[in-house]
Amino acid sequence: MNGTVVRNQLIFDFASGLLGPAKSIFASTYLQLNSNASKISSAFENMMGENLMDNENVHPKNLKYTDCIKNKNDKSTSNLKDPVTSFFGNLNDLDWKQVYKGFKEYTASIDDKDELKLIRMEPGVSVPLHSHGGKEYILVLEGSFCDEYGEYSKGDIQINDQKIKHTPIASKDTGCVCLSITEKDVIFFGKYGSFLNLFTFIKSFFKQK
Amino acid sequence: MKRIQEDRDEMAFSEIFDFFAPKINAYFIQNRIKIESSEELTQEVLSNVWLKSNLYDSKKSALSTWIFTIARNKKIDFFRKKSKINFKEEDIREFLYQDREVDLIEENEAKKQIERINNELDEQQKIMIKMNFFENKSHKKIADELEIPLGTVKSRIRHILTKMQGFLT
Repeated sequence: MNGTVVRNQLIFDFASGLLGPAKSIFASTYLQLNSNASKISSAFENMMGENLMDNENVHPKNLKYTDCIKNKNDKSTSNLKDPVTSFFGNLNDLDWKQVYKGFKEYTASIDDKDELKLIRMEPGVSVPLHSHGGKEYILVLEGSFCDEYGEYSKGDIQINDQKIKHTPIASKDTGCVCLSITEKDVIFFGKYGSFLNLFTFIKSFFKQK
Repeated sequence: MKRIQEDRDEMAFSEIFDFFAPKINAYFIQNRIKIESSEELTQEVLSNVWLKSNLYDSKKSALSTWIFTIARNKKIDFFRKKSKINFKEEDIREFLYQDREVDLIEENEAKKQIERINNELDEQQKIMIKMNFFENKSHKKIADELEIPLGTVKSRIRHILTKMQGFLT
């Protein structure tokens, strides 16, 4: 499937309310940082609004307009924040885990099957050549990185599937902070989880040859 | 809408209610929500329209689009609660609507865009978009209802997803 289709699918699914929590955070951040994605989403929502205008009528039996004026239970909107801040808070206060020198990650605890992670790479740091178990979505929040396929800066998204092998390198000047989603085929949890994940990671290296 | 925002005009609100309540109610039912809950949700949506009318900006979207986004947000919340997923995103969704740049959709731009889309998509594609994204039906269900092969549904929806890019310039 080509990148445009997967990207637009993500935007449409988000605008329709079909995504789970992890992908919703991811997609909303994407729309906030990328004006082209935001335009597509607006166009799509306009289409949905049209559908609502032309929708059939099923008259509510027990509802009058005065019920909606009386109802005051709704909270009033106060300080709205961007998705990343409202979910993670200040990124510097997070308990980042160092995976290796110059590469840190923070895995969100979120009620979802997809894994949502923040990744921070120091300037010039690279990730060894690897492939992916499930589909992986990466969105650049700060700085930039590049790989065999191009350069990705703030607001850019990269979607990797099983077929893609790459060696991302963080920008020498700025490093990068990214948000990532991993759709996992097999996930190992528990006491030996990290060991088993390491095992599948090593196995994937041999598969490439 | 202006009359509601500026004068808290209840008669103006009753007109919006009369037009949208049956359509919003139908939207929830199309999304497989039972009638008891659908009316409750419809009430929540229209209460929001009344209470948060100051958040609506006609430069950002048509009124129907704004109301759709509120109904959609209520639907997401409803299904999250039902499957006991502890995650609220209404605030994030509202933030995005507020954050939307006004110059993205200049006056009448939204209308032009919809016209362009309407001209480019054929009837079956429009029906598919509605079934897939408005009523949230699976590709399988769409294939069954339209009596066409599943592969055709998948490829046509993929085609629409690709084409979307062209509607924006």
